[in-house]
Amino acid sequence: MRRVAVIGIGQTKHGKRNDVNYPELVYEAVKRALEHADITIGDVDAIVTGSMPAPMEGTNDPQLWLTDALGGYLKPLMRIATCGSTGISLAHSAYYHVASGLFDVVMAAGMEKMYENDPQGTMTTVAEPFYQRIFTAGAPGIFAQQCNAYIHRYDIPKEKLREAAAEVSVRNHLDALENPYAHIRVKITVEDVLSSPVISYPVRFLDLCPISDGSCAVIFASEDFVRKAKIDRVAWVRGLSYAGDEHNFGDKDLVNWESAIKAARETYRMAGIENPIKEIDVAEIYNPFTYQEILYYELFGFCKPGEGYKLVLEGAVTKDGEIACDPSGGVLCTNPIGASGLIRVAEAALQIMGEASNQVDSCETALAHAMGGVNQFNGLMILGR
Amino acid sequence: MKDVRVLMGHISLAYQWALSPTDARFFDELRNKRIMGTKCPKCGRVLVPARKFCPRCFVDTTEWVEVSDEGVIVTSTLVGEKLRFEGQPIEPPYGLAVIKLDGADVGFSHFIGGIDFSDPEKSMEKMKPGTRVKAVWNEKREGKITDIKYFKPLG
Amino acid sequence: MDVGIVGVQISSHNEVFGKTVRDAIYECTRGLLQKLGIDKNDVDTVVTASSDYYQGISCSNSYYFEAAASYLKDATKVEGNSIHAFMYALMRVLSGHFGTALVLSVTKASEIPQISELTYISSDPFYQRPVGICDVTAAALQATKYIKEKRAKEEDFAEVCVKNLKNAFYNEKAYRKMLIKVEDVLNSPYVATPIREYECPAHCDGVVALLIARRERIKEICNGYIEPAWVAGAGWGSDPYFLGDRDLIKSGGLRKASEMAFKMAKIENPVKEVDVAEISDTFAHQELLWFENIFSESGVDAIRSGLTTIDGDLPANPSGGSLATNPPMAAGLLRVAEAALQVMNAAGAHQVADAEVALAHQTYGNAGQHHAVVVLRR
Repeated sequence: MRRVAVIGIGQTKHGKRNDVNYPELVYEAVKRALEHADITIGDVDAIVTGSMPAPMEGTNDPQLWLTDALGGYLKPLMRIATCGSTGISLAHSAYYHVASGLFDVVMAAGMEKMYENDPQGTMTTVAEPFYQRIFTAGAPGIFAQQCNAYIHRYDIPKEKLREAAAEVSVRNHLDALENPYAHIRVKITVEDVLSSPVISYPVRFLDLCPISDGSCAVIFASEDFVRKAKIDRVAWVRGLSYAGDEHNFGDKDLVNWESAIKAARETYRMAGIENPIKEIDVAEIYNPFTYQEILYYELFGFCKPGEGYKLVLEGAVTKDGEIACDPSGGVLCTNPIGASGLIRVAEAALQIMGEASNQVDSCETALAHAMGGVNQFNGLMILGR
Repeated sequence: MKDVRVLMGHISLAYQWALSPTDARFFDELRNKRIMGTKCPKCGRVLVPARKFCPRCFVDTTEWVEVSDEGVIVTSTLVGEKLRFEGQPIEPPYGLAVIKLDGADVGFSHFIGGIDFSDPEKSMEKMKPGTRVKAVWNEKREGKITDIKYFKPLG
Repeated sequence: MDVGIVGVQISSHNEVFGKTVRDAIYECTRGLLQKLGIDKNDVDTVVTASSDYYQGISCSNSYYFEAAASYLKDATKVEGNSIHAFMYALMRVLSGHFGTALVLSVTKASEIPQISELTYISSDPFYQRPVGICDVTAAALQATKYIKEKRAKEEDFAEVCVKNLKNAFYNEKAYRKMLIKVEDVLNSPYVATPIREYECPAHCDGVVALLIARRERIKEICNGYIEPAWVAGAGWGSDPYFLGDRDLIKSGGLRKASEMAFKMAKIENPVKEVDVAEISDTFAHQELLWFENIFSESGVDAIRSGLTTIDGDLPANPSGGSLATNPPMAAGLLRVAEAALQVMNAAGAHQVADAEVALAHQTYGNAGQHHAVVVLRR
């Protein structure tokens, strides 16, 4: 099987970007990715692009309008869209473009301009209109229900979990201060999190990600190209997988979350990983919510079910701990949704390359992950030296 | 303060989604205050709302089963004052839950009502996972999921 | 390339109308699996194509996920040209990670706003939307230029209509079937000059599904009973977004797509070597225009000489094309499905004799911006 590597990444300064229109926002990320990979647009053989549902920005089939900004002139270009997991689906698609043997250099680009519309209103339309739409209170309502199910299932001591969640928020925000591209860059305390207003119980304002404008581009290349172009700093794709649960919210078990467990298991198998917490150095987990990040530690096999909060309170998921989680500041501090999943891949690649702004010492193996739909899809990718 | 130039616009689109025979029958039964599920011949699960096929086994589910209008909260949340968005059906604060009715093997989403929502922690106590609830029906029913007004915690 | 299409399932408008997208997809998928005598576990991965605005449900594949036999599978979605879903599925199988892939696309025109309204909002809000650029107006601008530059006549476009709507009579899955004359088309009102009412696509409901597999898997799952349509070549390419940035008649993106596909298929003289073509005829003039770009031969001459009629040497759209049946986003995959049926000798009454090499093409975007070409071989 053809080996594929990440050879360059680019991202915009994320935040409220009403200084640029949608195409120019994308162009910023694409230009930076080409510079980082030290190639020209002429070297790119194909492009995959994606973002949240088009109603998010109010322009249908945005890949048509964004073709030029993506450097898509004459090139094979397609749009992939799987809601929040779009970013990881883009990385997977670019990987398969190269792994198929049809292309040598493929660029994946995700983008979002969330300030141009009502994001929660748009996200609610992911639920079908017959049975579920009116019971969908945007993303916070969904995640809050998952969290309450989680607490109930394992009888987790609420105070401890709340404290752990608050620490997760504090840690991500501190890490974001090291990341010049991150959106929210403020120092907060556990007290700040615990006293912030309730959005959907038990989720509070500082347990939640922001909405952000932003774009990210990641360039994948074949082993042949890496060799011929004499590129000496790359991040090799060692494993990837994806899975989806049922659409009906009440059909699935959000605690023993099958799609997350299966996607992780398959990815580890491909990458030859048996003890994730020991063998993975950095995990860029899709974490729009503090509680969900903690649940993911368990689903990804870092610890036993119901014990995620212990990893936090023990300091195991910090930069100095056993597995550095979201040293970029994560989705919790930067969330241009269509790009968020791809930013996880970009940050994981930077860690492998030794070029991350919040670099973890000798990172050999990094995990990137994203989630999409109404808690329906999970995808992972593992990168290594 | 930088001068930001913005173009305002509004998009309004009308849709008319077809109801499958399965959906149509489910909603007709709701009008009669009956909540129906269908049973999968392979895994034996009773799926509510009634389905045409089992999502896991991928076979037709043609056996219709009535389930109780009473059940248990699988999970819930209190949607707070600050969570507002376009298209929101009711003013927050309100309760949202996944409810597994007696006789069903899966849950489905609906509102929780009939309790005080002014204090999030106190409200959650009354509607936490494990709480038994019963459907409160609308007087006037139209064959929609909202024919059930909400589920009220019992006891 | 050792990948072939082993089965095709097309759900016609009548089979889809009055069902939810989810139930319609279940029926189509189930039909395909039953026809092939396989189980959902024989499907390794799924790539679907659907659109949120064209469904009124965002993250459109979320709603019908399990209906496309995808429960707990590595399944993903393409939005835009549904032939891209075929391309992506092909790449997944070529990578060696997956042995079989289900490719599926759906659109229900009956449930959604007017298609022109949805293509209108694909125009950017600053420059093209305020002047009303949608699928029809963009196509009209293009047709005017085509007439001027290639000395095409409105009669030529009308002939395409007559041909395709008649071909549709022999396609049990077609939506609009009519026996009309050139005068009927030319007497119908203009929608936007020079495009007449008949020359617009027949929007309808539809689901299209097909299964592709690697050679070794085909032997396993089909017990040797099926002669697949082998994928000989695939290519896709893009034109710039702004209408004014494009030539509108010469499509660099389509040239790129065609060259890529023909090179892969080792085809050096396309117009001689291709036996049948399913070409995107969303608007009548476009069948001729794209023919020209793909085959480097005059589209106008092709229709006038009878080359592209059902009895000609290179029949175009024996299925009736989009002028007869257009489930908006699924139309692309429908072109591939129809081309596959030809090569598999399974096109029934609209089978073209000795169809060894078939070409499928779809364009997407106002006046045709993103192009994809597939070449299939017996």
